[in-house]
Amino acid sequence: MLCLIPPHAQARQDMPLPESRHTTHATLFGIGRSSIYETYLSPSTYTGPHLSFLHETLRKTHWKGGRVTTQGVFDGFFSYASNRAGNSNEMAGMLNYTHGWHYNWTVAGKLRLMAGAEAHAALGAIYHNRNSNNPVQAKAGIDIGATFMAIYPFHIKKVPFTARYQASLPLLGGMFSPQYGQSYYEMSLGNYDHNICFTHPGNAPSMRHFLTLDFPVAGLTFRAGYLCDIRQSRVNGLQSHIWNHSFMIGYVKHFSFVKRKEPQHRPFIL
Amino acid sequence: MKNFLLHSCILLSLLAWTGCIREEVPDDTPVNNFETLWRIIDTRYCFHDYKEQEGCLPWNDAYAKYRPRVHDGMTPAQLFEVLCDMLSELRDGHVNLYSASDVGRYWSWHEDYPANFSDSLQRAYLGTDYRIAGGLYYKILDDNIGYVYYGSFSSGIGEGNLDEVMHYLRLCDGLIMDVRDNSGGTLTYAERLAARFTNEKRLVGYIAHKTGTGHNDFSTPEAEYLEPSNGIRWQKKTVVLTNRSCYSATNTFVRDMRECPLVTVMGDRTGGGSGLPFSSELPNGWSVRFSACPMYDANMQQIEFGIEPDIHVSLTSEDTSRGKDTMIETARDFLKR
Repeated sequence: MLCLIPPHAQARQDMPLPESRHTTHATLFGIGRSSIYETYLSPSTYTGPHLSFLHETLRKTHWKGGRVTTQGVFDGFFSYASNRAGNSNEMAGMLNYTHGWHYNWTVAGKLRLMAGAEAHAALGAIYHNRNSNNPVQAKAGIDIGATFMAIYPFHIKKVPFTARYQASLPLLGGMFSPQYGQSYYEMSLGNYDHNICFTHPGNAPSMRHFLTLDFPVAGLTFRAGYLCDIRQSRVNGLQSHIWNHSFMIGYVKHFSFVKRKEPQHRPFIL
Repeated sequence: MKNFLLHSCILLSLLAWTGCIREEVPDDTPVNNFETLWRIIDTRYCFHDYKEQEGCLPWNDAYAKYRPRVHDGMTPAQLFEVLCDMLSELRDGHVNLYSASDVGRYWSWHEDYPANFSDSLQRAYLGTDYRIAGGLYYKILDDNIGYVYYGSFSSGIGEGNLDEVMHYLRLCDGLIMDVRDNSGGTLTYAERLAARFTNEKRLVGYIAHKTGTGHNDFSTPEAEYLEPSNGIRWQKKTVVLTNRSCYSATNTFVRDMRECPLVTVMGDRTGGGSGLPFSSELPNGWSVRFSACPMYDANMQQIEFGIEPDIHVSLTSEDTSRGKDTMIETARDFLKR
């Protein structure tokens, strides 16, 4: 996580940091475009703008000699989309929480590669404004998958930047889905019909790409990024996709938790 | 590291192979709109086989009959007419096509039959001093018979409304529950009202849903039960008045009520409409509604074309000319016996 340490701290990165944990918090807000395709509601694709947010926590652990980093990401979006004819709308909203564990390698000097596994939970809904007994499709699911991250710090005219790319790929999971023609009214009566579906890349080919650039402004660290979130499924005869492309911007904060064994005689500065 | 990169490539290749999940709907042309509508009904409509047994045109034959009438040079109005003609072959009041200028419909289930309801006649019974609780209009008639009119299950009723109505009518000798011209609405309200007429859990019907695109791809029908309300329940004789305009949720209400022990259904056959309707749309944005989930009665019989009353009664011209509602009068006599 060296690259996520603010520039003024990098000069001290070789200082021994016993019993400490570096934590980076980033909060980003985004705007972008959604493509929503949900055959339970409509055979047409709906497109429109969305607003999104993302809060990320990266924390260095003591595991494997400090080579394991945990990542927690809480994000969500709200989209208002229209069909091609422009006479119907869908509103979609999702909340996601992802927790990942990454192993770190340093290659080619400054390039840091991280790879590991992550668990993801999602909850949301798509509402169609003119349907009768199928006006909404609930979205809920959990999965585990692989994740990969590359981090590269660099300077331009002595100004430090940090570029990062992360890809995530859900591999196994489960999701809620009505049966092909099942109504929520019938489900409210307690009638279950394969409403929890096993998911894998064959029936739920999803992925997430996140590209960010950290840069300093007036002593603070800001982050700009592009998030491509592809969530798809093909279960119970129903097809669905939510493709989100977001441009995000926000700020980054760094913390270091230090466990003191004895009174320190000098302040520790990260 | 090499292994990791290799595995990553394999996973990404697998993902690319499975491909994107995307819309299959073609461009907005008359032919494509026709094809899309035909396919939506072909794969999602729930009464194909039953309608065929009842003499409706098989859906494949409907394609052969109407497809030649569609070409890409036709106007939206011409296309709308052809599509509505095709949909009317299903003889289903829950099948509609909605454009900005019109609603395609099949209303023969009530238009081809006597109305058996007159609001001017009803006004003579309700007067102007009737009470209103939610969607219920109610009054105690001169012979101490309670009269409740529920004109639409889209008008909500709460448990509190029903407690008040039942309490107000508690000293009546019987109750007329008039649902004539009630063309449906929310099933929850229908069940909430019916739950006031049973003291025990009763099997009232079955519900199923499609599990695939085939005409016979259905789930195993699941039993539907009517649970007694925890509020005030009616313990005396009740007559439910029906006509051909009792449709959809009202048809389900009549189905539930006829399983209750002190209830008699009187009037004309209901209009039917036992398929829970879903919606979809065409590439040009027109919305289509269709029956998606079949509901049956307690004997697993279809009620799509209506429910026969226990006692057939129609309005007579003699009574109408005297300002009398034959069905209400017959119900009063029945309850006074």
